Amino acid sequence: MDVFGTLTGNIALGLNTALSASNLFYCFVGVFLGTVIGVIPGLGALAAISMLFPITFHLDPTAALIMLAGIWYGTSYGGNTASILLNIPGTPANAVTCLDGYPMTRQGRGGVALLMTTVASFVGGSIGIVLMMLFAPTIASYALSFGSADYFSLMVLGLVAASTISDGSAIKGLAMVVLGIAFGTVGMDLYTGQARFTFGMLELADGISLVALAMGLFGISEIIVGVRQVGVARIDRKSVTLRAMKPTRDDLRRSIGPMLRGTGLGSFFGTLPGTGPSVAAFMAYAVEKRVAKDRSRFGKGAIEGIMAPESANNAADQTSFIPTLALGIPGSPTMALMLGALIIHGITPGPQLMTEQASLFWGLVMSFWIGNLLLVVLNVPLIGLWVRLLLIPYHLLYPAVLMFICIGVYTVNNNAFDVWLVLFFGALGYGLRLLQFSAAPLLLGFVLGPLMEEHFRRAMLISRGNLMTFLERPISGTVLAVTALLLVWSAWAAFRQSRNPMLSVTN
Amino acid sequence: MYQRDYRDIIGGGLLLLTGALIAWQASTALDLGTVRRMGPGLFPMAVGVLLAGFGLAIMIPAFFRQGTLDAVEIRPTLAVLASVGAFALTIRPYGLLPAIAALVFVAMLAETRFRPVALVGSIVFLSLLAYLIFRVGLGLPLAMVRWPH
Repeated sequence: MDVFGTLTGNIALGLNTALSASNLFYCFVGVFLGTVIGVIPGLGALAAISMLFPITFHLDPTAALIMLAGIWYGTSYGGNTASILLNIPGTPANAVTCLDGYPMTRQGRGGVALLMTTVASFVGGSIGIVLMMLFAPTIASYALSFGSADYFSLMVLGLVAASTISDGSAIKGLAMVVLGIAFGTVGMDLYTGQARFTFGMLELADGISLVALAMGLFGISEIIVGVRQVGVARIDRKSVTLRAMKPTRDDLRRSIGPMLRGTGLGSFFGTLPGTGPSVAAFMAYAVEKRVAKDRSRFGKGAIEGIMAPESANNAADQTSFIPTLALGIPGSPTMALMLGALIIHGITPGPQLMTEQASLFWGLVMSFWIGNLLLVVLNVPLIGLWVRLLLIPYHLLYPAVLMFICIGVYTVNNNAFDVWLVLFFGALGYGLRLLQFSAAPLLLGFVLGPLMEEHFRRAMLISRGNLMTFLERPISGTVLAVTALLLVWSAWAAFRQSRNPMLSVTN
Repeated sequence: MYQRDYRDIIGGGLLLLTGALIAWQASTALDLGTVRRMGPGLFPMAVGVLLAGFGLAIMIPAFFRQGTLDAVEIRPTLAVLASVGAFALTIRPYGLLPAIAALVFVAMLAETRFRPVALVGSIVFLSLLAYLIFRVGLGLPLAMVRWPH
């Protein structure tokens, strides 16, 4: 088959969709809002997306996804601003950038750092998009032969990986996944129509609202923690003028290698379940430090130390769409929200998406190019505006965020019940933080739970109740074996970790 | 530092309790069915049992190690949660503008310092912003002000 012929055809179709006036507009709105929220420390991509999620209900599915995706990768562009100028990561994915970005600012090279990380973000993002265009259709065409048992096993792998690889204790992560699945069972049973865990509340018949859950867990609890953060930033305005952004020849020479290595690592980690842009950025920094000739420069304003993580997190942002769109299995909580958005708009995610909703898929991918270009344009000349955003005190900011959350969730179904749900999940989210549980796996479990139950029940019907079907089918069996290995590995790692502090005490 | 890791004892204990409640509710109120033809209760029951198991696994080791416990920031927690509640209570009977005013007022109680100018300014600015975005921009049928009957 003429692969490139199909690809150009798809690109033309995608451009046609992405370049329509309204989609261009929503792409712009998405990346603009993403940058704004990325710049402001304390609001991550997850909070940003869940906050602006309800607005997209009033748009058509393609425009909605274009806007949500724009918010997602836009935050990575904006997030480096606070990291570099204030030593506070705008989003967790930009945390590593502080290490060398802030020292550059103190040396009066903040402008150079801002410009160069924008370049790194663009290169990382662009290569990520190319990989997605090449691999997503291939993976999807394989996935067309997957059965329910295979899907179930893949989801188990995704959830186990997401809760064991990411930060914190693996067992707590797994517990949160299961709690999320439990919240997902609330509502009408798909097969029998019987109400489950609704406690007689009609509002719960359709299940718990994804928007309310996400906003409570990530928006409200974030604000509770952030209210007490005080102090207005002091920034040297002279370091962020266009003139101060000119990199030296040495800067450029040192940047190319880290940028490409960062992109490669980011692209790889983006596709793996459980490892989003934060892990990618961290790994990219660690690798740069290892390959560097003079390691002592790191942490003191080495440009390699900002180029690698910034290209890595943007590459990961883009490639994380591959499993989500090609298989319908999100690898991260943010992607789970994307998947939720698709489902709410009545689109079944999975390998059929690319053929049945070709204009949506390719329109979305092409909008990534437009969005990444827009971000370069927005970031460099408008840097003065973003710096001013950093100067807004938090006590003016958080009531505004609360307002957006409340109005947003209220307008989805025009009922106040969902606002009460936000309150409930806000309290839960804060409680989980205190007890040091990570809420991200909960969201992932919540979105995947109902899909898992459906596939499990279907697999049981097909195999006539034979549980061995999960092990006997080659794809499903392999995936479960990988899952088991991952569990053993994380149990061993936890065991070793619990032994180490004991050793250090006795020594 | 406490003698026992109370954080994980509480967290694990709550999970154990929640899981047990889910399993009990699923097995009593719902039809379990058979593995071949699963009823609505089987999957939730399995989830409940699994959750209770994880709760135990988190709780038990915590009895044998030292740990810390973070203090609850009561004032911001209550204020932020109450501001959401204030919005939920006022939006239907009184409309959007009173709901925003109530939300901002309660939210600002999170801070120890009272800032009257910031309060009034925020309410006016946010009301205008909400009107422009949700009513004008998105064209949603939101009542700005409503008199309860």
